[in-house]
Amino acid sequence: MKFFGSNKKDNYTIIIGCGRVGANLANTLSDEGENVLIMDESNESFRRLASNYGGLSVVGDGTAFDQLRDAQIDRATAVIAVTNDDNTNIMVAQIAREMFNVQKVIARLHDPECEIVYRELGIDTICPAVLSAKEIDKFLGVLPVKEALP
Amino acid sequence: MSGKKNKKILLIGGRSKAKSMAVSLLGQGYQVTAINDDYEDCLKLAEIHGLKVVFGNGTKPYILEEAGAEDFDIAIALTSKDADNLVACQLCKKKYSIKKTVSLVGDPNKTEFFYKMGVDSVVCAVSAVTGIIQQQAFIDELTNIIPFGQGLVQIVEVRVPEDSPAAGKKLWELTLPDEGIVGCILRGDTTVIPKGNTRILAGDTLVLITGNGQELNMIHALTGR
Repeated sequence: MKFFGSNKKDNYTIIIGCGRVGANLANTLSDEGENVLIMDESNESFRRLASNYGGLSVVGDGTAFDQLRDAQIDRATAVIAVTNDDNTNIMVAQIAREMFNVQKVIARLHDPECEIVYRELGIDTICPAVLSAKEIDKFLGVLPVKEALP
Repeated sequence: MSGKKNKKILLIGGRSKAKSMAVSLLGQGYQVTAINDDYEDCLKLAEIHGLKVVFGNGTKPYILEEAGAEDFDIAIALTSKDADNLVACQLCKKKYSIKKTVSLVGDPNKTEFFYKMGVDSVVCAVSAVTGIIQQQAFIDELTNIIPFGQGLVQIVEVRVPEDSPAAGKKLWELTLPDEGIVGCILRGDTTVIPKGNTRILAGDTLVLITGNGQELNMIHALTGR
């Protein structure tokens, strides 16, 4: 099922996990006029979304194939995994990349130690601890620490 | 026992499953270590004689290192979360070069995905149990089904009843599914390897080899049930 002509490349972002990061990102993308779908296990989480959020919100499991298909993951230009569980984020990212060939896949990981698991799949990762350390280092005015992530 | 003595098996997560598996494997002479992130479960596991127990999250590299992950031959992930099992197996495989990884999976749709992601053996409790229950419930003439190759091939032992449409017919006269053959006929004390003109008799026990989920069609064609 496609809403748009197959040639037209509209940005469509699927966000898994409606925590602070997920909701914030969904609001921002929606404000920029992009198509956004945010999925979370709990309906309560969607209260974090702004009142003028113009995207879709779906209660569901971001690792379930049928629910991802219902969310039209085959049409997604990006999938962003920002649940509070690192392993879930890794699995969501791997499913999006390996099973649905999504071009841009980003996962947020609190612990970057499992890198070897997803590195060769071309999944981009964000590690808050590493980012924080870098920022703090900037404030301290010393040279940035050696990057922990590629 | 001598060959197994040096084989080391790592069990990651799982409550009762880890416990019964540890007892069984230790009994067979393997060296077993269990990792569990529930302290109470660890205490229970530690009661098992000869089992090494590590308390911690088995999807974290520093815990796996504490357990000495690189020395193991087989890793078995038994947690209740699919994501944890997948990451644990991938870490064991890629970071610690464990040769064989086995994972439990809760969602039957993910079995293929787990294989694709490099897990060597994927066991889905849900589909295994429903499969067994279906066999037991619907095929009373059936003695035994043994799955091979992740269940793609089945070896089935089945008895031909008196009222079977196949009884008294030659093999070539029967319409059987393409994905199956009669491999052997057990008749009294003798064994017959059938050819096309071998006659099937009521009371024969047939050993069937089938693929692609054709075992039920095959059984139906030979027993009429």
